[in-house]
Amino acid sequence: MGDSKRQRILMVSDFFYPNFGGVENHIYLLSQCLIKLGHKVVVMTHAYGNRSGVRYMTGGLKVYYVPWKPFLMQNTLPTFYGTLPIIRTILIREQISLVHGHQAFSTLCHEALMHARTMGYKVVFTDHSLYGFADVGSIHMNKDCHQKRLVYRKGADLLVEVIPEVCRMYPNVRFIVGGDGPKRVRLEEMREKHSLQDRVEMLGAVPHARVRSVLISGHIFLNSSLTEAFCIAILEAASCGLLTVSTRVGGVPEVLPDDMIVLAEPDPTDMVQAIKKAISILPMIDPQDMHNRMKKLYDWHDVAKRTEIVYDRALKCSNQSLLERLSRYLACGAWAGKLFCLVMIIDFLLWRLLQLWKPAEDIEVVPDIVLSHDED
Amino acid sequence: MVESCISNKIYSYKHECKWPNSEAADVHNIIVRKSRSKGFLVFFSALLILANVILLFLIKDKSIAVVFWSFIWDVLIVKLLLRKPVEKESVVVMPALGVQLETHYVSGKIIRRFVPIDKILKPVLLECVTPVTCYWSLSLIIQEEAELMLVFKELRPPVKMLVPIWKALCAATGSEGSLNTFTDDGPCC
Repeated sequence: MGDSKRQRILMVSDFFYPNFGGVENHIYLLSQCLIKLGHKVVVMTHAYGNRSGVRYMTGGLKVYYVPWKPFLMQNTLPTFYGTLPIIRTILIREQISLVHGHQAFSTLCHEALMHARTMGYKVVFTDHSLYGFADVGSIHMNKDCHQKRLVYRKGADLLVEVIPEVCRMYPNVRFIVGGDGPKRVRLEEMREKHSLQDRVEMLGAVPHARVRSVLISGHIFLNSSLTEAFCIAILEAASCGLLTVSTRVGGVPEVLPDDMIVLAEPDPTDMVQAIKKAISILPMIDPQDMHNRMKKLYDWHDVAKRTEIVYDRALKCSNQSLLERLSRYLACGAWAGKLFCLVMIIDFLLWRLLQLWKPAEDIEVVPDIVLSHDED
Repeated sequence: MVESCISNKIYSYKHECKWPNSEAADVHNIIVRKSRSKGFLVFFSALLILANVILLFLIKDKSIAVVFWSFIWDVLIVKLLLRKPVEKESVVVMPALGVQLETHYVSGKIIRRFVPIDKILKPVLLECVTPVTCYWSLSLIIQEEAELMLVFKELRPPVKMLVPIWKALCAATGSEGSLNTFTDDGPCC
């Protein structure tokens, strides 16, 4: 895809291996594909337990586990300027050309992006989740790999209304519910109340390795999330050849082609209608065909190539002087704008001070390690 | 006989062969260069402490908090200044016997540590990450020890000075010294 120069990318996030999750996987797989395309990738995250310092992963992916303690849900304590020295050191010694931050909830990511901009580097930001802040229940981050997490965000309350209605309308429909969480009790109660023990099977938490075998035992995948940025679960279901019925929230409409998904408003009546429609079009679905199409649609190498295009665009952006940047911050709001300006001015001054105290020439550049074939 | 010499602003590296006609001992020295800025820093800090003390005498109604924090501040500066200055650190490589690590202080005191050759499994060059910086260090993996042994305890010489010492240690201990191999990271230094 064109002749893009070899870039040296720094991926920053609070969420990385040994933590498991969507963001962590994304960073790792994207980094591996970018390395295969010829770029150099370095990851920066906080230390996990006594996993601290520099580690190398497959393909020569270098990871800096910086010993800043996480204070809440794997997030580093936000200190505004505390991470400036170590970020500057890493950017200089690895000769980074571009910084890529991941996840809106990562304080380390935001601090790194702020400092990188102050120091004149180009940055790219990927937001992995959209969370509604309407209530506390929706602010809940992924910790374990479960197929469906029964929390308010996942609309378990919707299921409680929808399932009995569908069971009443269609005598030969059965439900399999996988996952665990605080709302499981409500589903159990619903089961008892309508005597649906033989129609609704509760599997509990399903380990990720067994998700596929659970999915292929079904024909329709029902997703009742109230907020969702992307929803990997829908992708997994479509790859297994299931027709998806989902609430029309967040980024869900963009995940699958229109003929593989039936969308509904997050409302019990609308959802029941959608399930009705799905059951009627089910005979026309070919699971193998669906799987083949999904394979082509979502491919990490394709994602890496598209990310490369974003990087090239970012690098072509003009360099902005401090004054130009400050004027943009001022436009953010009456008080917020002035506050942001103050924060950035202090950051700039601290950076200049750091340049005087530890000049860039004193920071040694790390030699590139070349992998021989048998070490790959 | 001085075989090679590398320097930067803070350190200089000298490689000597004790007995040139035999391979009995190889000495690698990292010497701290005298800097004028250090003297200036000492003078400036002394001035600060003096100013602090005079101010404390002059202020009539001072709260206990002011006195307390001034005291802490002065103690910190004095502690920084009184840190034992290191003159040089040496690595004496005796291929058949072992490796001697020496720290020479300005006061004349010398601390020596000897490691027998068969106890050294491998010398490694590591990147140490602290909350504010990242630097290279040279360490020895010792048999039956969980912790790595730092070759340079007090000083942090740059990697261009560490590489020839690392190569010499690899040659003496018989481990493969290829810069293409990954090195594991050890305890956060």
